[in-house]
Amino acid sequence: MKNLTIILAIILGIFAGSAFAKESNLLDQTHMAKGLKCASCHGVEERQAVPMLKCVQCHNTKKLAEKTADVKPTNPHKNRHFDTETDCSKCHHVHKKSENYCVSCHQPFNFVTP
Amino acid sequence: MSKEHSQKPKEIDQYTASVLQNGISRRSFLTRAAVGSGGLAFASFGIASASAAPLQVGTEYGEIGGATLNFLPKPKPIADKDIATTQTFDVVVVGAGASGVPAALSARESGATVACLQKQAIPVSQGNTGSGIDLKNSDKSAIEALVSRLMADNAHRSHPGLLKQWAYNSGEAVTWVIDRVKQGGGQIVDQGTKVQHGIRGIADTDDRLSFITSFCGPKPYTTGDAIRALAKTAEKAGVKFFFNTPAQQLIQDESGKVIGVIAQTRDGKYHKYMAKKGVILSSGDYQNNQAMCDFFIPELKNFERKQMDRTGDGFAMAYWAGGVIEPVGHTKMLHDFDAGPASMCDMPFLAVNRKGERFVNEKVEMSLMNNYLKDEQNAGHYSQVFDSDYMTQAKDWPGHLYSPEELKIYMPEAPGEKKGVFPSLINTHSANTLEELAVKLECDPKTFVASINRYNELCKKGKDEDFGKPKSKMAPVLKPPFYGIHRRMRISTICSGILVNDNHQVLDADGKEIPGLFIVGNLGAGFYGGVDYPLTVFGLSLGRCYTFGYLAGKYVAKL
Repeated sequence: MKNLTIILAIILGIFAGSAFAKESNLLDQTHMAKGLKCASCHGVEERQAVPMLKCVQCHNTKKLAEKTADVKPTNPHKNRHFDTETDCSKCHHVHKKSENYCVSCHQPFNFVTP
Repeated sequence: MSKEHSQKPKEIDQYTASVLQNGISRRSFLTRAAVGSGGLAFASFGIASASAAPLQVGTEYGEIGGATLNFLPKPKPIADKDIATTQTFDVVVVGAGASGVPAALSARESGATVACLQKQAIPVSQGNTGSGIDLKNSDKSAIEALVSRLMADNAHRSHPGLLKQWAYNSGEAVTWVIDRVKQGGGQIVDQGTKVQHGIRGIADTDDRLSFITSFCGPKPYTTGDAIRALAKTAEKAGVKFFFNTPAQQLIQDESGKVIGVIAQTRDGKYHKYMAKKGVILSSGDYQNNQAMCDFFIPELKNFERKQMDRTGDGFAMAYWAGGVIEPVGHTKMLHDFDAGPASMCDMPFLAVNRKGERFVNEKVEMSLMNNYLKDEQNAGHYSQVFDSDYMTQAKDWPGHLYSPEELKIYMPEAPGEKKGVFPSLINTHSANTLEELAVKLECDPKTFVASINRYNELCKKGKDEDFGKPKSKMAPVLKPPFYGIHRRMRISTICSGILVNDNHQVLDADGKEIPGLFIVGNLGAGFYGGVDYPLTVFGLSLGRCYTFGYLAGKYVAKL
């Protein structure tokens, strides 16, 4: 039963992923698919700007840096400027297309930013 | 600090008097606004006083001549109930960089309890070289000749007392930094005097001028890594670091004495760090604050920034505490030691701008080249161009030549491991035709070739009728393979700041010390003043940061 659930989850995940990929690859879709609501990030009362603190409540920066340790030409999540604590929003945007913040200075860093 | 150069009270030196008169403080804003608005305005608004009245409650930003300076936000009141924690130390340092970490450690070694607040997750610094004068092996006349030369480099706008303080204390301070970085496991060596290519001819030939030149490297290792090692030493010694904790505002008592700092952690909570002896601000420059740049140094608009998060936080804090900002026309630092060898940066090879045009007498040093490249298209880019005879043609030029084989570590297209450089920033090229080289240097080939033909013509003639470069520096570009170093002048730092005395204590608009408030590093005023940071002494900037951090830490700890 447990295995079945995992398989189902994977299948659903693939479907969900491809469906959203066709329409939009913005991160708000990704977050919505995981069950997040606007208020999860923006607060319940007056809509608030989202500090990095919100991101790190779910995303562990140290683990993320380990995961991308072998990314070439360099690990975007552990660098000489901020170590593992680069403000996520420098590259990853949620309601608009993300950007490669590194490339403006380091031209060979041709990352594709989700 | 150095008794020899200390000021007597009430006797204000020329530099300080000039900044008090022309600088920007809360009081000068009010006075000038009042004078500027004239009698009519007084009549219609009923504001009849030009005296130094305190700012009205509710004023949110600094003002000058009616202009609102939104880069100087007034501290908002933070109620005690919103303060999550309060801790008390002797000394609180704001900013863990090349001056802040030495200040924190030196205060700690002098017996103080010390907190060091840092905006980022780690200590941050840049560069490789930090210099001091080896007093034992230098003659006083030579040291004074160097100070005089630095005054000239700085367009005679700096405080001679601060330059002398660096000159006479830097050997000790840099030696101390070398030792303490090593204790923290850092990579640092003393390169001595031989690397100081820029000091030739300053002292009389029978005078000795020697340096302690600390070098943290080779790249990609930098002073950033070394300062992180120094922070380890400091932490071991008992300095308490608080990362991801940007300072928000200073706390002053009723008399105006600075008694602490309020900082905010990533969870949005405020914390008080009380300072019994003093607060040392070492939070650096403001290159990432567009409004500040547009006001103090508008010519930076088209240049890329090398740093991030340099929003000039310390400026607003010191301003609202009563400090005086150096007059408009701040000093900038733009160079590129990464595209090609640093030791070839001031060699007067043919230089072309981004279009491929010759644009300057190439004897202009790299540190000043940005002044010819301020427009949107050039945006600080130029290329040094030479041919395969450069090893003979330039052998007596200022600096040190790299052979064609050695140059390969700066060539992205050349195979092999790129050791001792930042592989993502190297930008040196070679090609068998000029057209091909133009493409690699991102110039228009037609314009590029025409510029080189014209230059070769002038070389043949032996007269630079276009820019007046001396014949001895007119090396033609004839023999393939051709070489080009594409340098990008980006902003390393802005090095003008808040007026301090020679104890690094902040002065108010009356020239009086603000009790409890000190500034070191690039946030401090008086050390430069020219259009650009001079590259006469390699590592002057970091040398000054180490030295003033070291001295101020000691001084404040002993209060």
